[in-house]
Amino acid sequence: MENLASASSTSLDNSSSDFAILDVRNISVSFGGVRPVQDVSFKISENSFTSVIGPNGAGKTSLFNLISGMNKVSAGEIIFRQQAIQAIHPHKIAQKGLIRTFQGAKIIKRLTVAENLMMAVQGNPGDNLSGFLRIRARRDFEAQARAEAMRRLDQVGLTKFADEYAGILSGGQRKLLDLSRALMAKPSLLLLDEPFAGVNPTLVEKLIMVLGELRKEKSMTFLLIEHDLETVMNISDRVIVMADGKIIADGLPGAIYENEVVIDAYLGSRRKEIK
Amino acid sequence: MSDLIQYTFNGLVVGSIFAIAAVGISLLYSVLRLVNFAAGDFLTLGAFLTYFLSVTLELNFFFSIVVSMLAGMGISWFLELVLWRNLRRNKAGTLALFLVATGVALMLRPIIQFLFGTETRKFNIDILKTYDFLGARIAHTQLLVLIFASASILVIALFISKARIGKDMRAYANNPGLAAVSGINVDRVVLATWLISGALGSLAGVFQGLVQGQFNNSMGESLLLSFFAAVVLGTIGDAYGALVGGLLLGLFMELSQLSFFFGGVPSNYKPVVAFATLVLVLLFKPEGIFGYRGRKV
Amino acid sequence: MDAFVQPGFWVFVLALAGIYGIFALGLQIQYGVGGIMNFGHVGMMAVSGYTIAVLVIKYQWSFWWAAFVGVVLAALLGALLGLTTLRLSGDYFAIASIAFAEITRYWILNTDSVTGGTQGTLAIPNPLGFGGYTNQPDLILTWISDRLYPIVGDEASRDMSMIFIVWPFLFLFIWIASKLQQTSWARVLRATREDDDVPRSLGKNVFRFRLQTLVIGSVFGGIAGVFWALQFALLAPEDFLRIVTFYGWMILILAGATRVKGLIIASIFFGFLYGSTRFLEFWPLSLLSSPERAYLRVFLIGFVIVLLMLKRPQGLFGKRQEMVLE
Repeated sequence: MENLASASSTSLDNSSSDFAILDVRNISVSFGGVRPVQDVSFKISENSFTSVIGPNGAGKTSLFNLISGMNKVSAGEIIFRQQAIQAIHPHKIAQKGLIRTFQGAKIIKRLTVAENLMMAVQGNPGDNLSGFLRIRARRDFEAQARAEAMRRLDQVGLTKFADEYAGILSGGQRKLLDLSRALMAKPSLLLLDEPFAGVNPTLVEKLIMVLGELRKEKSMTFLLIEHDLETVMNISDRVIVMADGKIIADGLPGAIYENEVVIDAYLGSRRKEIK
Repeated sequence: MSDLIQYTFNGLVVGSIFAIAAVGISLLYSVLRLVNFAAGDFLTLGAFLTYFLSVTLELNFFFSIVVSMLAGMGISWFLELVLWRNLRRNKAGTLALFLVATGVALMLRPIIQFLFGTETRKFNIDILKTYDFLGARIAHTQLLVLIFASASILVIALFISKARIGKDMRAYANNPGLAAVSGINVDRVVLATWLISGALGSLAGVFQGLVQGQFNNSMGESLLLSFFAAVVLGTIGDAYGALVGGLLLGLFMELSQLSFFFGGVPSNYKPVVAFATLVLVLLFKPEGIFGYRGRKV
Repeated sequence: MDAFVQPGFWVFVLALAGIYGIFALGLQIQYGVGGIMNFGHVGMMAVSGYTIAVLVIKYQWSFWWAAFVGVVLAALLGALLGLTTLRLSGDYFAIASIAFAEITRYWILNTDSVTGGTQGTLAIPNPLGFGGYTNQPDLILTWISDRLYPIVGDEASRDMSMIFIVWPFLFLFIWIASKLQQTSWARVLRATREDDDVPRSLGKNVFRFRLQTLVIGSVFGGIAGVFWALQFALLAPEDFLRIVTFYGWMILILAGATRVKGLIIASIFFGFLYGSTRFLEFWPLSLLSSPERAYLRVFLIGFVIVLLMLKRPQGLFGKRQEMVLE
């Protein structure tokens, strides 16, 4: 089992190690006896699209919380663009271009849809009180942020809600807003936490289409959590499978689909149903 | 040595009163997520009503205490019916609960002043009588308070752990959703919590009045933050914790006056010891002595 | 009923309203924008007021420098409060903030040699033998009264001059606060009222934003303290009891937590409540002695707070949504 997993990941690593944007080295975390992530290592190459799959409780979201700095690792290192980030504040990590979304689309209900987006733009002079006096710089920045927000809203078809409270959006629309907001920050690495969960199939297609277009631009690296392999089969370059806080397999989507360990541990029952 | 005994004894007396007041506040927080800013004024009410009944009307002292406790319960019940129940129904936020509790305190205080006057009062008990114990001077009233307060603490602890409604309260505090579906009558639990805290408020007020000897109508209000310190020290929302937190804080406040503690804190800074304890616990161990780290604060 | 028609009464109401308006504006920035429940705001007022009294009387500083230092110290107290306890969640922070203000008051109460202790600033030991600290600004107040005299005659008073000093500042501060509310800075803070993780994951240092809000609010609390010290020309520890913070909260919730403009009317209402329980002489008020009226004032303020929270939590000018969505 260990051999299979490491063999497939090594082959991938060799081809792309020069351009690893994220390098996770033996990270673990424990909270009072529970160990959601145990000795996990992997590298993500630039402009790739990787999906992390696994059943509920496999440690996927915990892994994201560690990478984004929301929780601190108990052991191990996380290297993002040649810099160790495991000990720095989450907002600093975000400022470096590593942006994440949250399970269940955390939107700010009492900000308008446009404001939700505008908040995400990086380098705002108005984030500092000293910028309060730079009135023109702030005004120009706001105008640009607004224009950018409207472009993003147009892309996902939410233009008509721009000046409504985000709280009125439906579940699916919130997912679109959440994704758009993350994109407003122009991340170099984007972590998406179950962007498709609880979204109707038409909208899933739309989301995948948006992600597909972004992939073509080759300006962004994606790391995505999903519990269902089929959904991400076609969009992913690579799939990492987690169970019980460990990586149990890592490789090309097709290989994972056929991987006996994965079938036994996780996909087995579902696959049989489908067949 | 006699100093140590003296201050330890004082600390136990003060601490047992803190414990009684703090357990009411802690129970309310655990069941209703309400920080009861009016708790201090319930003490004042209890002390003044007992004074009125036992001194002015010359009724039996114990009977007066019981009536005062019933009055504290009655007022709490009344407020639950006209205020708190409606606020819960309106899904009032933290700020609203804070402000209403404060508003109640602001209304209660003038009512007490209006009904019972602003003069300093004292109970009809000899406050000058003292006993000598290993070189420490122990006042008759202190001894009485310590005995009755300890008995009360025991009763409270037994009630929470053994009585049906006490168990329901703990179940509801741990998991309101689960408790509601498992057949616990939520309104009854909430009401019981108010009644207990109302009764304990009056009782602690009488004890405090006895220990102070003389008391005025800002007595309870000025102790409020000390009670909060005891509650936070013993883990907010943990009833047994509040009992222990109260005792520890009382001991700490008294013993801090001894010279080994940075040369001794001047007695007029005693409340500051409590406030500082509150801030320091919040800073370094916000989960309190009985909490666990993962708890959200 | 006489006092109602006496201009002197309304002049006092307005002067007081201006001072407490600035005080409440500090709370409004902290809560209305940043969602911070500061229940120790009175501490900022105490610090700046007492700094002035001590520096002017004991060390013969100029009033203006003393006022400046007072406001800076109030801001520093806000920063200290924030740095130590702002990481706590809402209700814990609220309790800690009360403790801070109370520690400040106890210190003032028990440091007789500096602050005059229980007897107030009159008892501050001073080498020159006079106990006042308002001589310099009084020159300005007198100058204004002299200009008012030809217009309003004998009604010209120190209180009336105070209005001409305080209200321009109140309007200026309200203007600044409303500008501040429209910035992207305030947008981040409004987001933090709902959720910290989102702004944090988008690169915003949530703690720093909150700390800035707390300090700005404290500056307004400090400035209110300067005017308070000027208005009453005498300070005592019991002027800075916990309840004073709740005067500010009453104004704030009456106005609606995020409604800058409602603040003016709410402050005047407070000034009226305060002034009328103090000066008005008509039945049934005339039955009460002056300390009894002080209770009536406390009772009414508690009553207004409870009634508002129960019947109209959004205040007179706010939107219900904002309070309920909390």
